Amino acid sequence: MEQSEFLRAIQNCRRRLNLAGFFRKLVSALGIGAVIGILLEAVSFVVPFYYAGTYAVLALFIALLAASAAAYLRRTGMEQTALVMDSFGFDERIVTAYGNLDKEGVLVELQRADAMEQLQTHQDKIQITLLPPWKRTGALVCLLVVLLVLVLVPSEMKDRAEELHNVKEEVEEKAQEIEEIVEALRQMEQQEGLTPEQQALLQEMIESLQFSQSEYQQASSDQMMRAAAEKLDYRYENMGSQLAELAQSLQSGATVSPVTAESMQALAEKMQGEGGSQLVKGKTGQSDNGHNGVGDANGQGGKSDNNGNNGGNGQDGGGGKDGQSGQSGNSGNGEGQSGNNGGSGQDGSQGSGRGTGSGSTPHDYVSIPNDIADSGNLTGNAVDHDASEYFHAQNGLSWEGTHMSHEAVIGSYAQNAYEGIAAGKYPSGMEEIIKEYFSNFN
Amino acid sequence: MSEWVNGGLQDPAYMAQRIAACEKEIQKGIIGQREIIRQVMLAMLTGGNVLLEGMPGLGKTRLVSTISKVFDLSFKRIQFTPDLMPSDVTGTNIIIKNEQGSAFSFERGPIFANLILADEINRATPKTQSALLEAMQEHTVTVGNDSHALEEPFFVLATQNPIENEGTYPLPEAQLDRFMFKILVRFPGREELKGIVALTEGNQEPVITKQMDRAGLMAARALVSQIPIADAVMDYLLNIVMDTHAGNPYIREGASPRAAQALIRASRAKAFLEGRLNVSFQDVKETAFPVLRHRIILNFDAVSEGISEDEVIEKILEENAKL
Repeated sequence: MEQSEFLRAIQNCRRRLNLAGFFRKLVSALGIGAVIGILLEAVSFVVPFYYAGTYAVLALFIALLAASAAAYLRRTGMEQTALVMDSFGFDERIVTAYGNLDKEGVLVELQRADAMEQLQTHQDKIQITLLPPWKRTGALVCLLVVLLVLVLVPSEMKDRAEELHNVKEEVEEKAQEIEEIVEALRQMEQQEGLTPEQQALLQEMIESLQFSQSEYQQASSDQMMRAAAEKLDYRYENMGSQLAELAQSLQSGATVSPVTAESMQALAEKMQGEGGSQLVKGKTGQSDNGHNGVGDANGQGGKSDNNGNNGGNGQDGGGGKDGQSGQSGNSGNGEGQSGNNGGSGQDGSQGSGRGTGSGSTPHDYVSIPNDIADSGNLTGNAVDHDASEYFHAQNGLSWEGTHMSHEAVIGSYAQNAYEGIAAGKYPSGMEEIIKEYFSNFN
Repeated sequence: MSEWVNGGLQDPAYMAQRIAACEKEIQKGIIGQREIIRQVMLAMLTGGNVLLEGMPGLGKTRLVSTISKVFDLSFKRIQFTPDLMPSDVTGTNIIIKNEQGSAFSFERGPIFANLILADEINRATPKTQSALLEAMQEHTVTVGNDSHALEEPFFVLATQNPIENEGTYPLPEAQLDRFMFKILVRFPGREELKGIVALTEGNQEPVITKQMDRAGLMAARALVSQIPIADAVMDYLLNIVMDTHAGNPYIREGASPRAAQALIRASRAKAFLEGRLNVSFQDVKETAFPVLRHRIILNFDAVSEGISEDEVIEKILEENAKL
């Protein structure tokens, strides 16, 4: 055997060793990856975990990469290969010869010749198996099968995870959309030439939208998201019409630049459009809302324009019928949105609303305890919220929504009312009535 | 001129063949004890001294005398006793009177031979034991101001009795380190004993013939010292020696660098005896016991747990297991 042949023999063995090492590491790494995948999939049966399947595949992919990297980094060298070859009964002849390839001397040369001769004669003794032990391979196959089964088996939790994922995606999208509108409103608010009232109106719109944004961010189910969407839709419509009016008044008054007015008008149209689209998107029965628009009768019960909210919303419900024509309800909404204090005003659906809304705070939704609503005696049942069922209502159109304590709702309304009194928003003489009204809840 | 020069002193294969023939010839005079014979042969091929430890009557003296016959070496036996003086071993200057007058002349002691059997070495005083130190290590003897070189090859095969410790002087560590091997001569098995009895009590004494002369032995020794060792094997060997030091829970004092040298030489000799021109892991593993067992000092834990030197070495070898 020539020296080149000797080296080639070691090189061939080295290749096989490295390949075998790669397969061995691959099986181990894939086994670990499969176990991780199985755990992830198992977790997805217990808690909503949308990305379980993706992460399981990722774990396998990472295992593949890790095995490749480990096999490369820990690849066998020539000397190590010679040692492995020696373990097949060559008594370290090969590694000694390889280590002394460039050395001279009688004994060294004789040793080299002896090693080459031995290798040539007994080369068949070197058996390097490429495939890992069948037990390991079998275990890996079993793990992969289990993983596949777990991925394919449907479960309620998986469906829930998918729903949550969709909700999250939509929430992010909507939050971004709201953020853009809020930003546009802020820019408008900072324009010169706006009266303090107009600025306050824009500020209220911003706050209202931010509230919607937080509602979206808190949404943890499809139902909650739909509820938030409906509320946002309603806000869009109201704000759209308010903005349209504001734009009109600005254009006629020419106190601000035409550009601002035009952009305001454009934003108003956009918001109204969004409102319409929200209605189309909404899965709750819009036609029902339309039918529930019976509150216009209650609107008449209002003592001022501001109190006519329920009537406006009744029209809005009509607009909801075709979804596309959400603006058609705007004429009603123009005033209807102002029925913020209509926590009781919502009772208008029952024909008993007092219509004492201030007309400026955009509280469009109220939580109405059934008992209170049914009893007609608001004061008497106010603190008995534990026995009540809460639901959200949009001017008589009701749907399930976020549960809030009755005290919180009343407290919020009371705070708004007192702020309104402080800001002089109510007709003279009404302040005491309002105060008395809310003091009855304490 | 030696008969081996023409026969191929430079031919490793031939030399290995001759050494194997020597081993076989020794086995004619010694029944069993193959491992002992092999280890003594390793020491002969590397120029090392051997400490044979065993009960009396196990054939230690017979082994040494047989070896001297096989290799045609001069052989002297020194019986160590408590009253043995260093000059009794090394020789001394005596006054010689002749026609020219009186003059000091060095009278060589029994140490001036190729093969020395220092029988029951632990019975002599440390002073006398230390008289062997220079001879064993430097192969010279200094008496007065003169140093006298010992004839090569020079081997000391010392024996000591593991029992009957009363009136003995255990060899100090420094002197123990100068013995390349400590060979434990164990009691033979029944079949071996039967053979021994038949051999020694029979009518026919086996005829031991010379198989190799001094020149041949020296040539073989030169070849052995050139046997290459792979880096991996050398690392393994050094790891074993290092593991007798820090961290070993049973060793108080580990092996000296001389142990590493002895292990390398012994491994080479073993490879040569087996007809190989390279050292294997197995060579190192097998020679580790006789090389290391007298060079490590066990601590109290090992002694109290009844762990022997060989068991500690076995553990070290297991920890450094190769492939």
